[in-house]
Amino acid sequence: MQEPFRAVASREAEGGREIAVTVRNVGMDFDGVHAVKNASFDLPKGRFLTILGPSGSGKTTLLRMIAGFQTPSSGEIFINGEAVSAVPPHKRSIGMVFQRLALFPHMTAAENVAFPLKMRRRDARTIPDRVERYLALVRLGGYGGRRIHELSGGQQQRVAIARALVFEPDLLLLDEPLAALDRKLREEMQLEFRRIQRELGVTTINVTHDQREALVVSDDIVVMDQGEIQQKARPIHTYRQPRNAFVANFIGVTNFIAGTVRAVSEMGDVSIFRGDLMLAGKLGDPANPPAEGDKASGAIRAEQIRLAGDAAQLLTLDCVLAGTVTDTIFEGERMVYEVACAAIGDEVIRVFDHDPAAHTQFDIGESVFLGWNARDMLVFR
Amino acid sequence: MRAARTAYPLKWRIMDTLEGVAAAIWPARFRRATPYLMLLPAVLLVGLLVLGLIQIADASLRTLDTTTFQFSDNYSIANFRRALTEPLFLVVAQRSLIAALIVTTVTLVFAFPYAYLMVRTRSPGLRKFLLIALFLPFFIGQVVRAYGWLIILGNQGMVNEALGLVGVAPMRLIYNYPAVLFGLVQYMLPFAVLMLAPALTAIPEELEAAAGSLGASWVRTFIHVVLPLARPGFIGAGVVVLTLSLTDFAVPAILGGGSQDFIANAIYDQFFRTSDQGLGATLALMLVALGSILVGLVFALFGAGTLAMGRSRA
Repeated sequence: MQEPFRAVASREAEGGREIAVTVRNVGMDFDGVHAVKNASFDLPKGRFLTILGPSGSGKTTLLRMIAGFQTPSSGEIFINGEAVSAVPPHKRSIGMVFQRLALFPHMTAAENVAFPLKMRRRDARTIPDRVERYLALVRLGGYGGRRIHELSGGQQQRVAIARALVFEPDLLLLDEPLAALDRKLREEMQLEFRRIQRELGVTTINVTHDQREALVVSDDIVVMDQGEIQQKARPIHTYRQPRNAFVANFIGVTNFIAGTVRAVSEMGDVSIFRGDLMLAGKLGDPANPPAEGDKASGAIRAEQIRLAGDAAQLLTLDCVLAGTVTDTIFEGERMVYEVACAAIGDEVIRVFDHDPAAHTQFDIGESVFLGWNARDMLVFR
Repeated sequence: MRAARTAYPLKWRIMDTLEGVAAAIWPARFRRATPYLMLLPAVLLVGLLVLGLIQIADASLRTLDTTTFQFSDNYSIANFRRALTEPLFLVVAQRSLIAALIVTTVTLVFAFPYAYLMVRTRSPGLRKFLLIALFLPFFIGQVVRAYGWLIILGNQGMVNEALGLVGVAPMRLIYNYPAVLFGLVQYMLPFAVLMLAPALTAIPEELEAAAGSLGASWVRTFIHVVLPLARPGFIGAGVVVLTLSLTDFAVPAILGGGSQDFIANAIYDQFFRTSDQGLGATLALMLVALGSILVGLVFALFGAGTLAMGRSRA
């Protein structure tokens, strides 16, 4: 059971810093439309990278170029240091799990898993053993004889993963394979992906529009929008230090308050005016600061705002606004309050309340106070 | 009033009236019988066919008295003995059967790439062109098309004239077996493409991409993925082409010029030249039997479910 897995793991241990995939200035045009623009990133061996973005952001196109189904219009992709533009998919050592799984319906689960081994002309005597081992890895031991249509959605997912991994590819690509699952199964499979990826140490690129999935499974997240890479960072940085307003808005629930920059300090402190209201915050992208008088907006996460019926309870916070509750939405683990604030022209601010005791605290129409710390507000151009 | 009219358009009123009429003729309590009612026209048609077959079976058992040109009143199997022993009929049957098998194979081989390109091409213009090219021959009858080939392939035809320009002596391109096979393949191709196309459409393109990413070249993708999944289409197209070729009349008659008769031509001769309806009926029955055995064999080997009947396995 352990032998081939150990081989992969030790390879990773020896060259943990080695680069498995390099995407350099890659662009893709479809009839004059730039699906991907000048994308570049490096992916070290053994890491789990997620390309996150809304539909039409170019994330799937980028993945298909790495897989070899499409040839970049410009730029080059390197796998293990070799340029691969001229290499057809079946000559690349890439395992791919497809959006609709693409399992072969005329074969059993075991035949599906054996397919890449047969196509790669592996020693026929070792195939049944190896197939069974990988079925066991995805917790489908003994299910090999089942036909695909006899398996549940989750089991089909697992067959697809086993089939993509059984030939020990250099790279595993996941093309939104979890998108069609119900939430419970999806979250279970996310943890499965993470477990298997860690067990084998295989370099993985995952494509998704599900921010939760990206945060849960990844070592790194590349956020894409309109064909461009917006940010590449570890999940916690993507969430806590979004580089721009798009990333801040796409991941998590964020309130934006538009204003005009009054002052920017060397330390990265910045203050903006919205009418008479002054808001203090931090620069979202210190490398690219706005100038005094520029338009900018302050971004504050819904969970970083405190809510109180009395302004005195929020005295320790840097910024306090008065408002009226316009809606309360119960989401189970939290209550979402929508509060219209007069100081910013009755724009609605969303606030999370995770305290079960407080869930019924405020009703629609009640006057409340919102407060937050300046360090939690990021200012973007 | 106006609001009411937009809320309840004229079409709905007409449908309501029709439903009322239908309810008067066929009350709701008859509803359980409705499916059988819908089956009735088809059953009637097939029933008529069976009646005809019984008539033919009756005729096949009567022998023709060549002196009086009267049919015998008593049954005998003399016609069947003649059909099975006379070398002419054996030659004709063999010729038809071998032609049907060759035509089926060649047609399927030619039809597959055509259907594949038509289904998979990303260019709507090319797809339209292929579709029109496919349907155009249907507008020209089989007989007219066979005459067309006579004009093209004849001794003074376009092909021989073109060959003459490069110094090749005129060749006999018609009134032989290959000419009949050629004509039949050309006639069957659209049928086969039309039967194959839906089967290919049902194969998700992603499966082919997946096979590629798993290490299969396009040849192996074709052998291990496309071909097995397209099997229902191949069997459907094969059965149609096989039976149509086996029973064809016009192409062997016109492109064979009387020297390449198929079973259908032999039957025609018996009915309308020698007027031996008994022997003609016998040959017809034997053709029905041969076709049924072939189709039955295909179903026994591959299962009727492969004809996209029964539940999809995907």
